[in-house]
Amino acid sequence: MNKQSAMNAYIKEIGGWVAGQLEACTRCGLCASACHFYQVTDDPEYAPVWKVSLLGQAYQQRFTFLGRLRQALGLGRPITDEALEKWSKLVFEGCTVCNKCAMVCPMGIQLGPLIHDVRAGLTAAGLVPADLHAATVKQDAIGSPLGVTDDAWQERIDWIAEEWEVDIPKDKKGVDTLVVFSSIEIMKFPENLVAVAKIMAKASESWTVSSKGREVVNFAFFEGDRELTKKFLNRVFGAARELGVKRIMISECGHAYDAFRWTAGNIMEVPKGIEVTHVVRVVYDFWKAGRIRLKKGAYDDGTITFHDSCKIQRRGGHIKEPRELLAWLAPRAFKEMSPAREQSLCCGGGGGVISIKEADALRLAVFGMKVEQMNKIGAQAVCMVCSNCRLQFTEGVAHYKSGIQVRGLTDMVFKAME
Amino acid sequence: MDWTSILHFFRGPFFTFSLLFFAAGMTYRLIRVLLLGWSRDKVPSRGSKAVGVAKSYLKGVIILPFIPWVKRTFRGNAMTYIGGGLFHLALLAVVVFSTPHMMVWKSLLGFGWPTLPFPVTDWLAAVGIVALVILLINRMTHPVLKLITKAPIWINWVIVFLPFVTGYAMTHHLGLRYESLYSLHMMAVDVLLIWIPLGRISHFLFYFFSRTIHGAQAGKRAVNP
Amino acid sequence: MSEKTVYESLRESGLSRRDFMKFCGLLSGWMGLEFLPGVKALAATPEQVAEALMAKPRVPLIWLELQDCAGCTEAISRSQSPSLVNLVLNSISVDYQETLMAAAGFQAEASMRATMEKFKGRYVLVVEGSLSTAADGVYCAIAGRSGPDILREAAASAAAVIATGNCAAFGGLPKAAPNPTGALGVGDFIKDKPIVNIPGCPAIPEVTTGTIAHFLVMGTLPKTDRLKRPLTFYGHTIHDHCLRRPFYDAGKFAESFGGHGAREGECLYKLGCKGPTTYNACSSLKWEKGLSFPVQSGHPCLGCSEPNFWDGGGFYQAQSAPIDRPTAAAFGLAAGVGAALGAAMAGANGLAKRKAGKTEPAEPKKAAE
Repeated sequence: MNKQSAMNAYIKEIGGWVAGQLEACTRCGLCASACHFYQVTDDPEYAPVWKVSLLGQAYQQRFTFLGRLRQALGLGRPITDEALEKWSKLVFEGCTVCNKCAMVCPMGIQLGPLIHDVRAGLTAAGLVPADLHAATVKQDAIGSPLGVTDDAWQERIDWIAEEWEVDIPKDKKGVDTLVVFSSIEIMKFPENLVAVAKIMAKASESWTVSSKGREVVNFAFFEGDRELTKKFLNRVFGAARELGVKRIMISECGHAYDAFRWTAGNIMEVPKGIEVTHVVRVVYDFWKAGRIRLKKGAYDDGTITFHDSCKIQRRGGHIKEPRELLAWLAPRAFKEMSPAREQSLCCGGGGGVISIKEADALRLAVFGMKVEQMNKIGAQAVCMVCSNCRLQFTEGVAHYKSGIQVRGLTDMVFKAME
Repeated sequence: MDWTSILHFFRGPFFTFSLLFFAAGMTYRLIRVLLLGWSRDKVPSRGSKAVGVAKSYLKGVIILPFIPWVKRTFRGNAMTYIGGGLFHLALLAVVVFSTPHMMVWKSLLGFGWPTLPFPVTDWLAAVGIVALVILLINRMTHPVLKLITKAPIWINWVIVFLPFVTGYAMTHHLGLRYESLYSLHMMAVDVLLIWIPLGRISHFLFYFFSRTIHGAQAGKRAVNP
Repeated sequence: MSEKTVYESLRESGLSRRDFMKFCGLLSGWMGLEFLPGVKALAATPEQVAEALMAKPRVPLIWLELQDCAGCTEAISRSQSPSLVNLVLNSISVDYQETLMAAAGFQAEASMRATMEKFKGRYVLVVEGSLSTAADGVYCAIAGRSGPDILREAAASAAAVIATGNCAAFGGLPKAAPNPTGALGVGDFIKDKPIVNIPGCPAIPEVTTGTIAHFLVMGTLPKTDRLKRPLTFYGHTIHDHCLRRPFYDAGKFAESFGGHGAREGECLYKLGCKGPTTYNACSSLKWEKGLSFPVQSGHPCLGCSEPNFWDGGGFYQAQSAPIDRPTAAAFGLAAGVGAALGAAMAGANGLAKRKAGKTEPAEPKKAAE
């Protein structure tokens, strides 16, 4: 039964976009050495091309003449339940869908989205790792994958507003910007909310948070469950429609930005005239327009570096904004890692990997490469614009007992405001 | 059966058949993929897709190992990069810019072009053969390649290797008589033409799919390639 | 009257003994006796040739012309040493040769018949021109008899058959597509006789004469290759001994006829030379007393000593070019077939996709697409 559901999902996923790229693969194997999971483990099964091969097999068997012929003659290699289980571990625990492999592929194949499709089939077959699925179920039922209930959320927002003496408008109609945070930020990085509130106030931007669309994270998107993804997206879009905002600002969250900005429009009806943007862009625009003023050289001691996130930089294109900000805030201290920008090395925690307990050892092993990268340039601090990365960095830095300070860029900007 | 008749067969009717099979096969593959359904991208772009695509092709042609950020992958895959790069260079020089092959194109297309001096194409052909051997050894030893290489990929190698060696042997009169080698060369070429639509050598066509998609994705998201 | 030996016949026609010995030397050269190890073992020097010619009775020749242009005969009558060749062909042996014989009509036919009866099983049959087999051979009939008839009868009591010229050897020009006369080489028709082919268009006269002389002297046909061509003359390609070969090896190709490159001796590959696959003695023996041969004089080899050379691709098209190429219409058709199949497959795939979208009762939330 599993097999059939997975196969059905693949047959539905495969269109010209997928097939054109599957056909282009020459089996050169270069993608393997782009993958941090392969680099750390040296296990060839982590090669992106191998992860995608499940989708490739479905395509060969069901969409090509020879494949169908072989299938009709009973010669095809069937996709077994064991294979599905194995691939579930490979693509959920051993892949952050960071798409770095697409950067080295000589044919330019978008391996990340293809692996996302592999995940979709496994999800249809009910083979999502338990921890990840539990979080999804929680998000579906409670509204937050961390289990933050509505009351808890209200309380937390009030507490943050009180503690830091900031104004966080809730469910305010007719404002320009709806800001959506992730539970990670609300529970673990409250300074992000504070930073946003302060910056918004300084820039005299009318904004609000919404109790209905309070969660930016989308665990169904990690799973590749399209219907549930839409449902979660709709909570925020619905709130935005209700509040009559002009734009939705995604907080420091990578995959949410991908889901809202790049995916939603193609899988569902999105409200017209509502722009989706990321906090780093908004802050940058405020600064460029003179709505906020930043102290030049505010962080100019030691060495600070910037971590490019897969969904915001590599697949979001917000590469120059954080750099210009850092060039202002830390003109001498800012130093690039290598490789950086769209070629950057993934943190290892994205794509839902961080929520899977079984993947912890692998995830932290992968982070070793990041530590090495930072140590090479002698970084004392690292900043980023993705809370998921930041969580991984915080845990990873502690695990490797490295003294590197992990910061969010929005928070840094707020603290450097004049 | 004498070699002259064999040669006539593989230069004549069978070559014609192979060309037609190639044309039909490639059209089949192309149409099958094109008609599989393409959903329109309804998401507003942040950058220009066209610029992204143009940059994607420029990047695809620049020899990657010389760009610092891929050095990490270059170091682990020197054989793939060097072997693959040299093979494609040799392929271009030999198939397009050697005199005998240009004359083939001329007879098919009706026009010719200047060719490279014989010693150049000759050495490049030798380089191509060596590159193929390097790639084979790489494929047999690299753990990832061992895992992902199935029978059709090994067949690819043999089918690409044969025209190269028979062609080289023929120009240097190695081993057999000229017309025997010529027959074998044409036989290998015909088999290659028939095999291309059946295997992954067709990547020269789908390259344009994946590179365009890559460029459009990068352009749309305003990522500098 | 006892039969005359070859020597006696020659002396009667006014040849001095000294000339006879020179002639023997030349003949042994043509026959390639010096070069063939097997024959050398027989110690066939010019002296042996002379001895053989002095002792052996003359062997008559019947020279049939079928679908030919008499080009091979022409070539022979103008060959390097016409007197000697004519001596061999006219004075010694030839009892029937339509182009050269004085006799005509019934007289000529009678002469042939007489020879066939008198020398039954001992004469040599030389054939020039291809055999027309279509429509019972009506396309080439002599004295009211069809070619196949004549050839079958003449070959039946011959000791050996020598097919001279590409037409007789492999069908030549008459056999070129679409071959309306059903032309065949002699070897395709006569299967039960020893045959040697002397292809060429025309055959090099010295090669024909040399081969006849070989039979006269040794009593056997020379050693041949798979296409029954004497190895002495057809053991190497034009390319092997070509004087333009160094330019081929260096990749220097003449671009036009009579142009600078062609005059400088550059290789004629691009102008269509078939030298690399053509086995003949042109580049070593040459023509007109060793004066020149086509490639030397700036014309590419046409490959006239090879089977089906007429259909072997354009004469002025480089040898690498394919012999035939599909027409644009054929390409269009192939692409159309491919496109139709592709569309059919895409249709089937579309159906499968739609079906996959529907049949998922287990997870109704995934049903919508």
